[in-house]
Amino acid sequence: MYLVKKDVTAKKAVVLDDMILTKDMPTTAGSKMLEGYMSLFDATVVEKLGVAGFEVAGKANVGEFAIDVMGETSHFGATKDEKGNLSLASAEIVKGGDVKAAIQLDVNGSPRRAAAVNGLVFVKPTYGTVSRFGIVPVACSGECVGVMAKTAEDCEAVLDAISGYDAKDGTSLPEDMIEEAEAIKKVAVVTAFDGSIDADVKADIEAFVKELEAKGVEVVKVDGTGLLAAKTAWNILMSAELCNNVSKYDGVKYGYRSANYTTIDELYTNSRTESFGDLLKTAILFGSETLSDENYMKMYDKSMRVRRVTVDYFDSLFEDVDAVLMPATSKKAYTEDDVKGMAYEENIYTAPASITGLPAVVAKGVQLVGSVFSEKALLELVK
Amino acid sequence: MKYETVIGLEVHVELATESKIFCSCSAKFGGEQNDHVCPACCGMPGMLPIVNKKVVDLGMTAGMMLNCDINRTTTFDKKSYYYPDLPNAYQTTQWFAPVAVNGTVEIETSKGKKSVRIKQIHMEEDAGKLVHDDWTDTTLVDFNRTSVPLIEIVSQPDLSSAEEVIAYLERLRSLLRFAKVSDCRMEQGSMRCDVNLSVRPEGSDKLGVRTEMKNMNSLTAITRAIEYEVARHIDAIENGTEELVQETRRWDDVKGKSYAMRNKETAGDYRYFPDPNVMPVVIDDEWFDSIKASLPEFPEIKRARYIDELGLGEYDANLLVESRAFCDCFEGAYAVCKNAKEAANYLISDIMNLLNKKQMTVDMLTLDGKSLGELINLVTEGKVSRPNAKKILAVMFDEGVNPAEYAEKEGFIVSNDTGKIEEVIAAAIASDPKAVADFKGGKEKALMALFGKCMKELKGNCDPQTLREMLIDAVNKQ
Amino acid sequence: MDIKVLKRLEKLNQLQLTEEQETAFLEFWAKQAKEADAMSEIDTENVERMVHVMPIMTVVREDKVIKNFTRDELQQSAPETNDGYWQVPRLVE
Repeated sequence: MYLVKKDVTAKKAVVLDDMILTKDMPTTAGSKMLEGYMSLFDATVVEKLGVAGFEVAGKANVGEFAIDVMGETSHFGATKDEKGNLSLASAEIVKGGDVKAAIQLDVNGSPRRAAAVNGLVFVKPTYGTVSRFGIVPVACSGECVGVMAKTAEDCEAVLDAISGYDAKDGTSLPEDMIEEAEAIKKVAVVTAFDGSIDADVKADIEAFVKELEAKGVEVVKVDGTGLLAAKTAWNILMSAELCNNVSKYDGVKYGYRSANYTTIDELYTNSRTESFGDLLKTAILFGSETLSDENYMKMYDKSMRVRRVTVDYFDSLFEDVDAVLMPATSKKAYTEDDVKGMAYEENIYTAPASITGLPAVVAKGVQLVGSVFSEKALLELVK
Repeated sequence: MKYETVIGLEVHVELATESKIFCSCSAKFGGEQNDHVCPACCGMPGMLPIVNKKVVDLGMTAGMMLNCDINRTTTFDKKSYYYPDLPNAYQTTQWFAPVAVNGTVEIETSKGKKSVRIKQIHMEEDAGKLVHDDWTDTTLVDFNRTSVPLIEIVSQPDLSSAEEVIAYLERLRSLLRFAKVSDCRMEQGSMRCDVNLSVRPEGSDKLGVRTEMKNMNSLTAITRAIEYEVARHIDAIENGTEELVQETRRWDDVKGKSYAMRNKETAGDYRYFPDPNVMPVVIDDEWFDSIKASLPEFPEIKRARYIDELGLGEYDANLLVESRAFCDCFEGAYAVCKNAKEAANYLISDIMNLLNKKQMTVDMLTLDGKSLGELINLVTEGKVSRPNAKKILAVMFDEGVNPAEYAEKEGFIVSNDTGKIEEVIAAAIASDPKAVADFKGGKEKALMALFGKCMKELKGNCDPQTLREMLIDAVNKQ
Repeated sequence: MDIKVLKRLEKLNQLQLTEEQETAFLEFWAKQAKEADAMSEIDTENVERMVHVMPIMTVVREDKVIKNFTRDELQQSAPETNDGYWQVPRLVE
């Protein structure tokens, strides 16, 4: 689970996904390519944690570049829970009680899925509220640093510590642009996913609806079919950006270099081929091809437009309700067999918030997505 | 058959900034290998690009100097390819909304005047430098130039000869140097030119096969390369010596030949897409107007003004408008002394000599025009002698001293103390009776020895005419 | 997409797939392409592309040099250096 572990006191300790660069511990992104890679600087979130008095307990294993279902593609091995089901290292460490929270990079929803299957809370804040300086970049237009903990209160405390404007991140939101959303009074349950989720996931949603109603929150139903294309579009945007972001790993400047080369092209190709896993290779090639002359308009450009359509669709929902309730996963547990070929499918539940940059909170096995800057209001609902 | 040549140019110009385009490393030329480098520009993960505002200022300035429309919202895109001089395996450039579009550059050649259309100007980052080491059979990579800001000026295929290309490049260089966009030094690579060339029978409306030539680092090399390439194309068309293919060729100036570059199957397949980490740059009216207001007078307008209004000769005016630094110094001096001819003379002879002695280019001149004007005033008012003014100028050139204060401090102020002059003359006469006798005997030249002695004694601080008259007077009285 | 296009794509991205991986990729591509076809049904004619989800504009910095790292630090994890240069096999131009 831990790739590096330090001795710290649990009360003020956090663990970092190995997508977050630290200068005193290696950062691998779960890849053989970056095995042992030492960053020369700390991520802004690491600095902010220090300022807030948190100690870093270590680095947690992640799926290679955090694009998989739940850590199954890590070069350092998949993480399993006590029952032998797949989990994320961060989730297991949080459950174990070593730390108050885990800081994670949500690229393709894996922290949200891990929170859902483990009954933990994960908050993916509004894009731009937490600095991405010092994050191993994957899909920059949508990836967010978020917080996983056992409770909404702990999530909120740690999120407060890492949030804030950062001049070193050109996509960081200036404080005067942030206007916290009001308390959530009305929630829409999305029915469009009903056909693809297991009964026990559906039961979690029904139970949560009852809880909301008991709290006096009005709950209505929407079909939510306007959210279904987000997966296809995010798969394209994410893969193309990833392809470009991991092209710098070529065996020249640092990282893995093949022993088997005589020309520069062999150095490049063999270093990458020998150190990248199957899913990463698939994602690179797919992403690259969505940008080809032949496919650019139909795939990449179209996906940027579908991103706006999705934002507009959410906006139309938020005219009537304050948040949208939907599943985070199709299942309550995944085995290693389950997730084969699933990375580009299972994210249908997480892609709507990924592609729009909207805040999402996973708790009690369900997912709430709210309007911009509603993360605190969402956390309030799951306290 | 007669042929016509169709040429379009892509000119890369390194911008005159202190720091790089997306990170804060130094953009200075030279330095130890990999000394101007940080994690961002050597391709390490985690740092994010923040645009250097000066780059946009200079991009806009270039656009305005070349009569372009400025895109009020300009954006950055990523261009991907693998090469060891490109540490991120992508170059951040402008593909969809470049800073400036649709411009014109006026040129003049032996065939008359012509307007060359500019398609666009985009801002981008430079690549690093590769050194091929024959001893170890390796290539060594230096990232100092990586991410140094560039603009690429893309012309329409409006040029038809090497002469026009040179006229166009000289015009670009003059305009961009005037506007302080770049020092445009081809030998240091701060101005580079790729030549897109095709040849077709005169009158044909179908373009011939186009080749792109790189690696010319002087105007002479460009001329030679174009002439070689045109001949090669015509030879291929007429004699079928080879099949022309659309390709990129490398000019070898030593061998005087162009060679097809390694035929990459993937060349030209750059997979552009908008950079998600760089927000659109929106140029508001205030920003636009401030750049507009900062534009210099065009060199030919200055030249005409220098001749018509300030009465300079054509030769002097031409020399001055070679460099913005000269013009600034000249105009600053003129404002103070109102003596254009004097100011031009100091610049063209004395200051040029000083520059040459120090192996500096004219653009490196930092002398303040106001001080030069003050020095000229001191000379005109007879307070400092001309030879001493040169000495003072040399110190001003090096250290930027105030001429009046320096002259005072070092005793360079012309003395009006006739008593002192008389004293010196008396001493000179006493020490050289032979010269006195010779002069009286009709040898005019003999006076020079005495004159020189006196001048030396007076440290040159004496009006030569006065000294001469007093000296003759004194000698005749002997 | 056929195997020829895929081979070219591999080369472009400096990767080499096994035959088995190639077969799997072609299947994967076919599935994604079909999804993209389905996405084409969404009317985006009057929709502008959205590159950035937040409406931030003009993030620029002053032209100032800051040096935080030495060459030795930057090259500490380099596979191969020579006299302060990163070193790679001889390139043919």
